[in-house]
Amino acid sequence: MRHNFIDRYALLDSPLHILEPRTKLLAFTAMIVAVLCIPVRSGSLFVAYFFVTAILMGISQIPLNYMVGRTLVILPFIVLASLAVPWKGYLGLGILFVRAILCLMLLILLTNTTRFVELLRGLRRLGCPQILVLNLGFLYRYLFVLTEESMRMKQARDCRRVGRAPLREEFRILSSMLGTLLIRSFERAERMHYAMLSRGYSGEFPVVSPKRFSWHDLVFLSGVTIFIALTVLWH
Amino acid sequence: MHIPDGFLTNRIAASLDVVSGAGILYAARRAKVDLSGRIVPVMGVLAAFVFAAQMINFPVLGGTSGHLIGGALLAILLGPMAAFLTMATVVIAQALFLQDGGLVALGANIFNIGALTCFGGYAVYRLLGGGSARGKRMLLAGFLAGWASLIVSSACCALQMSLSGAIPLRIGLTTMVGYHTVVGIFEGMLTAGVLSFLLKVRPDLMKLNDLGRFGAADWVGATLFVAIPAAILVLAGSSRLPDPLERLLAITPLLSGGTEPAKLNSTARYLDYLVRAGVFVLLVLLGFVASLLGRHRRRRP
Repeated sequence: MRHNFIDRYALLDSPLHILEPRTKLLAFTAMIVAVLCIPVRSGSLFVAYFFVTAILMGISQIPLNYMVGRTLVILPFIVLASLAVPWKGYLGLGILFVRAILCLMLLILLTNTTRFVELLRGLRRLGCPQILVLNLGFLYRYLFVLTEESMRMKQARDCRRVGRAPLREEFRILSSMLGTLLIRSFERAERMHYAMLSRGYSGEFPVVSPKRFSWHDLVFLSGVTIFIALTVLWH
Repeated sequence: MHIPDGFLTNRIAASLDVVSGAGILYAARRAKVDLSGRIVPVMGVLAAFVFAAQMINFPVLGGTSGHLIGGALLAILLGPMAAFLTMATVVIAQALFLQDGGLVALGANIFNIGALTCFGGYAVYRLLGGGSARGKRMLLAGFLAGWASLIVSSACCALQMSLSGAIPLRIGLTTMVGYHTVVGIFEGMLTAGVLSFLLKVRPDLMKLNDLGRFGAADWVGATLFVAIPAAILVLAGSSRLPDPLERLLAITPLLSGGTEPAKLNSTARYLDYLVRAGVFVLLVLLGFVASLLGRHRRRRP
């Protein structure tokens, strides 16, 4: 099984990838907030943001079809929102769509150009509560283990039965599988915890060769700041 | 149910960011007692567990699919405070890994999917199941906790989006709540099933409430934390309408067919919504039961 489906493109080498995680977190959050604050009537600003996002996409070297596939997440919401067309008109729906797509692309750019461990370090240094960062770190590390475990269990179940059981029985099987997975997770957590404690764990995860704030970051941050300031002035 | 960016007005999104942020900070302070303690890896692993469980979809009705949310189950196992932190972790990870839900809308998503399911589900479980309930009563309480948590959370999600003018209130409320009433049955059954399994196999895991006792002050705090934003949303939905909704309501008589909600006062109008939602839910339930029966009949020969 492939173990890197989450931050698959985070190991590429591009001008966006070498930035410090805090820089990217701040810059992309600022851009998303700015997109959400664009007034409905100023279409040219949307074009400007789209242009900049496209440039960033080009720089990041993330394949286009991957980005497009990822943006399909919002389709159900667009369908739901299109029910409101009789009241809000097509302009309203269009603006909604453009805003959502822009924000989504910026978020994809942020998370796919940063390794998750580094993103967590950035979050921690920006003042995110440590327990949340720890939880996210554990989630990331255990996810693959759990997925493998559940696939093994599924395989074992499929080997032992033929065809489909009655619905009641299916539910009993499914819930005892979930329960077993839960118990195994608990036990694994306990084992890992003792292993970590015996290796000197004290609540912090060190990062090997962390990225440092450099002139790249300064250039990128000031570029984004100037761009946002310009769009505010323009409006 | 993960709201993307752009579907909420900035005011609603920002205020829910503040609410959820405050909730997380408080829960994190409570959890800070011992960061190298046992609860931290357990929460992490359970977060991974919920994250993985939410990626498994099962078919519901006519091509749509649903998945386990798990907030109520976690709250029953870990206590609501640790469960809330865990669910917040899951929602943040979903936004970062899968782009499920936006960055600015994160507060709203954490509130709906984390706070409402954990605290709401736990309240239902404790109220119905009592402190040390066993057997059938506990299973029923677990089922209802899972079911109710989904309904409350989807209703709040629909309310937020329609107050932002992204979707019409009536359609949003009925589709979201109706859909999740059905999905909630699965959620409730799985919650009860996992609980009964754990009770049989590892009853010691059922009292893992490590973040200290959930005392009376916590009950009051949690109720306020969940109830105040929800109440504001409901009130805004029924009486003091913001701009897009006002326009919307001026035209809704077209949809309502027969009655004219515009003439009703706000409370009656809200009841009207609820009745309609109830009828819709009943219809969906009937369809669900019918499809189950049909399935069984087909299999028997």
